[in-house]
Amino acid sequence: MKFLRNIFDNAHATLNKKESTKKFFPLVDAIDTLVFTPNHVTKKGSHIRDAIDLKRTMMLVIIALIPCLLFGIYNTGFQHYRVLGQLDTASWLDMIGVGALVVLPMVIVSYASGLLVEFIFAIRNGHTVHEGFLVSGMLIPLCMPADVPLWMVAVATIFAVVIGKEVFGGTGMNILNVALTARAFLFFAHPTKMSGNLVWVTGYEDAKVAGNLPDGASGATALGDLVQGKADPSMAAEIGASFDAGQYDLLHSFVGLIPGSIGETSALMCLIGAGLLLWTGVASWRIITSFFVGGFVMASILNLVGGNVYFDLPAIHQLMLGGFMFGMVFMATDPVTASHTNTGKFIYGFLGGFIGILIRMVNPAYPEGIMLAILIANVFAPLIDHMVISSNIKRRLKRVKVA
Amino acid sequence: MDLVKIFIKSAFVDNMIFAFFFGMCSYLAVSKTVKTAVGLGMAVIFVLVVTIPLNWLIENFVLQEGALSWVDGSENGEGFSGLDLSYLSFIMFIAVIASIVQLVEMIVEKFSPALYGALGIFLPLIAVNCAILGGALFMQEKQFPNIAGATVYGLGSGVGWFMAVVLIAAIRERIRYAKIPGPLRGVGMAFLITGLMGLAFLGFMGFEI
Repeated sequence: MKFLRNIFDNAHATLNKKESTKKFFPLVDAIDTLVFTPNHVTKKGSHIRDAIDLKRTMMLVIIALIPCLLFGIYNTGFQHYRVLGQLDTASWLDMIGVGALVVLPMVIVSYASGLLVEFIFAIRNGHTVHEGFLVSGMLIPLCMPADVPLWMVAVATIFAVVIGKEVFGGTGMNILNVALTARAFLFFAHPTKMSGNLVWVTGYEDAKVAGNLPDGASGATALGDLVQGKADPSMAAEIGASFDAGQYDLLHSFVGLIPGSIGETSALMCLIGAGLLLWTGVASWRIITSFFVGGFVMASILNLVGGNVYFDLPAIHQLMLGGFMFGMVFMATDPVTASHTNTGKFIYGFLGGFIGILIRMVNPAYPEGIMLAILIANVFAPLIDHMVISSNIKRRLKRVKVA
Repeated sequence: MDLVKIFIKSAFVDNMIFAFFFGMCSYLAVSKTVKTAVGLGMAVIFVLVVTIPLNWLIENFVLQEGALSWVDGSENGEGFSGLDLSYLSFIMFIAVIASIVQLVEMIVEKFSPALYGALGIFLPLIAVNCAILGGALFMQEKQFPNIAGATVYGLGSGVGWFMAVVLIAAIRERIRYAKIPGPLRGVGMAFLITGLMGLAFLGFMGFEI
């Protein structure tokens, strides 16, 4: 520990020697405060004393994301061997190896490009590096399909950090979730690499081109299959069967051994993360519960409408698929872009879940609609806050008048 | 049911701001506070709801080819039924819009002088707001079979515009204390926010209703 401390102190001293290197202070400071508690103290009277700060909060979210990351690595490999029909011969080590080779470079690229932008802005504007990117850098690879090229990850990350966050003045000021901005940007800029049937399983497209695929191997996600079943009733029976007892039954969907974006497939791992976030008080239980209720209500309404294989899928099963759980736990609860008032959080969460399932099921173009729904909820959040606050003001004014 | 579809489609899917970027000038100018945004949004809803059905009547009974046949009861291109006045549509629509806007201005001045002061020049400028003329021209293009459809279309477009301007006003109120880089402050930031909101609202594109 002492050894590390010395390194940072020396680095600070070296930078401070010359005027020209002084502006690189944020670089060292960022790593320093990540490892050690910052040594600045409150100068005026403080009202709340707490050991936690923004960096520690972000770290907790990253720890909560680790189950999703590890499972995502395993599942990426698992899906790879599944479409190649080699599940019997491949060991779990093979699967982790394949998955790690796909996922870890994406994590590294995302962190490198994002932090590069953060450092540039910090040095240019002369402030310390904002901590906000620590979580976004992990979320961005986890909400990408396995086969997305690395340069796209880098471009999307840079776009999201600059346009989504830095132009607003950095962490805490942005209006849209940074990771979702990155994903939405790629989704609309490079739709062929972000949706469809080819991108979700690593190695699928190559094997298909080479003709090495066994019969019946599919790279589509569960939601992609459902959209197909809705559009083409002749496929409906077969697809419906795979949801009753097969590749996509409730257990598989819950555990997450299904194709999808890297981190989003497993509802179980998301719930473990949610447990940690709720226990430590980092995520708001109001948003998580109301988001779930919103999605459940919409899915139940469409259950009642019925009429095709997609709408007939039980509501609870519907919520286990795609990015619903992942978005609910890690994206919607982003404290910056969510509503700030307690009543507002209920409305915000409900709106997000409700619109999410609506877009997913009614709009055939976007089966992965949760991302857009959370962005829409983000856009509505300031207005919700405004309404809540002004209604509070009105209520209290009334009380004053009565008294 | 058709009317509900028209409403949802015009308010969310074909939103005047996020899908067509119509009516941007007043959208950017009055969206600094929620209160003025609500006021102007209401005015736009009112003007659209009144002018689009009026223009629908003019379009269907005066301007279209053969629309004037009711004057002398002629058919097949003889007499009045042979007239095609659609080249007059721009000027007619603008005239209707301008007179309705005058009406709105008088109403607002009478009943809410404070709002009248806050909106300033942007209230009479609704007359040249492209969302209003755009609404009328889309109405012409969409060929609504009856006046109810046109009215609901006007209401939907107005509500969509209202929603957009109130949303961005709330966002701009929230980021008032954000440390935005100097050159971007004000309108630059409003453009960026509109773009990001448009990105989110792309989720409604292609709804199958």
